Amino acid sequence: MQPDDGYRMLVRNVRDYAIFMLDPAGHIISWNAGAERIKGYTEDEIIGKHFSVFYPAEDSDKPARELREAIANGRLEDEGWRVRKDGTRFWANVVITALFDDNGELRGFGKVTRDMTERHHAEEALRASEERFRLVVQGVRDYGIFMLDPTGHIISWNAGAERIKGYTEDEIIGKHFSVFYPAEDAGKPERELREAIANGRLEDEGWRVRKDGTRFWANVVITALFDDNGELRGFGKVTRDMTERRIAEQALLERRRLLSHFVEAQELERRRIAWDVHDDSIQAMVAVGMRLQLLAGRLPDEQRPVMAQLEETVRASVSRLRNLVVHLRPTAIDEHGLVPALTGYLRDAVEGWGLGANLSADLAVEPPTATAITIFRICQEALSNVRKHAGATRVDIALTSTDGGTLTEVRDDGRGFPDPATGHPNRHFGLIEMRERAETAGGWWSVDSVPDEGTTVRFWLPNALAEVEGGA
Amino acid sequence: MTYEVRVPLRVLVADDDPMIRLALSEVLDAEADLQVVAIAEDAVQAVSLAETHGPDVAVLDVRMPGGGGAHAAREIRVRSPRTQLLAFSAYDDSGTVDELKRLGVREYLIKGVTNAEIVAAVRRAGAAVQA
Repeated sequence: MQPDDGYRMLVRNVRDYAIFMLDPAGHIISWNAGAERIKGYTEDEIIGKHFSVFYPAEDSDKPARELREAIANGRLEDEGWRVRKDGTRFWANVVITALFDDNGELRGFGKVTRDMTERHHAEEALRASEERFRLVVQGVRDYGIFMLDPTGHIISWNAGAERIKGYTEDEIIGKHFSVFYPAEDAGKPERELREAIANGRLEDEGWRVRKDGTRFWANVVITALFDDNGELRGFGKVTRDMTERRIAEQALLERRRLLSHFVEAQELERRRIAWDVHDDSIQAMVAVGMRLQLLAGRLPDEQRPVMAQLEETVRASVSRLRNLVVHLRPTAIDEHGLVPALTGYLRDAVEGWGLGANLSADLAVEPPTATAITIFRICQEALSNVRKHAGATRVDIALTSTDGGTLTEVRDDGRGFPDPATGHPNRHFGLIEMRERAETAGGWWSVDSVPDEGTTVRFWLPNALAEVEGGA
Repeated sequence: MTYEVRVPLRVLVADDDPMIRLALSEVLDAEADLQVVAIAEDAVQAVSLAETHGPDVAVLDVRMPGGGGAHAAREIRVRSPRTQLLAFSAYDDSGTVDELKRLGVREYLIKGVTNAEIVAAVRRAGAAVQA
């Protein structure tokens, strides 16, 4: 077999490529298996036809143009839609080679066509997906999303970035991203890129500068982008304007601070009043009582009942004043801690209301005095609610150390109430006050009530007030 | 045995509140078998008067300047060992009670108890001295 015959056989039988020849005018003069498979024509049907039959109607001038170009440049490559015999289309990669003889005379054209439809579809799908993604990113307004080249220059921009930072795409593309940092942060941009490269990503919160020079509090995530070879291709940067949230957080913090100052001042004032009552009013009443008793001994018998009555009045006043002192300022907390103070309160006050009371404490850590006072006050409020509303026969308090704080449970066996939110307004107020106290101290508070079974107030306070800090 | 044949119990009263001091000493003095021999306005005075007079019984306020009843009790135990100690306080505080008991205080009276109870407590303490 001659090499030429070999080539001819090879060409004729190749199925992945349509390989055929045109005469100088563009008529088909040879055909192969691949051409038949791809275009649908048998050799008999197509030989002698002009190759423009493969082109869609809108490309009517294209076949002639392509031949001219192939003659001019020796070859031509094109990608585009072509039409099969049955009228369906396929995406073709076409190479046309002009064939000249030794005298330089055009003898025709070789044409190799490949069906790229599937790859084309895959590429189209990818392109469409990338386009959609790009549109999403571009359209996002809540986040500034943009890309930096490996040296930190901005190479893409989105609507959110424009909204947050004030630059249009035209103004900012090509600039170095350090323009967003305030003067005092010199060196930080480079440091952040280095860190993003080292750790893959970096998150930061801090002040950034808008185009107009105003500042905003930003949450920034920088992601280093590496290609398959591990080479740095740039950075993705997502920026969020946290100014409002920061203002809201600081307002909350400020409110907590004010509330805690208020609570502190209230406790101080209560203590002052308690000491005054304790050191002055009670002493005076006690002295008066003792003198009344002395006096009674010197009076004639018929006047003694009056004196006894007076004496009883004084004794009752002393007792009431003493309860006031305990209520105002449980001195035991300062000196002996929470459990003795609560035990004393249950014994001296609560049992006097005709309620069975019990305290169980499992405290690995004694809460600090300020927290202990808050726990005591919330218990007082909860117990006062039990007394006024619950119609209970007993109340149980449980203290447990948990999660770095103290969990307190005040459970009664009273009538309960359907829904705290729709409860009696005064009671509701009491609930709010308890909750505010707990939240001011950095903890949480909840109430759970089942009609006819009872109510449980549960709250947790941290042993140390968590410090909320701004800036990283 | 009757009280008449005995020498009256000699009592020291210590309280920073003038009304209480006065009322307490009048209550005790009104009893034939009791005699208030010294009245102190604070803990320091109570210690020095106890040392001077060597009373049978000292009635000490728990909270008073100069270290309070605890300081007075501790010092009087050393300087006048035979003196029996009573605490007289405006509040019931188990922690303080325990501390004073450790310091040798026999009884703890809450202000507001009847005069008769006070007198009885002083006599009980005195009986321990004379026994």
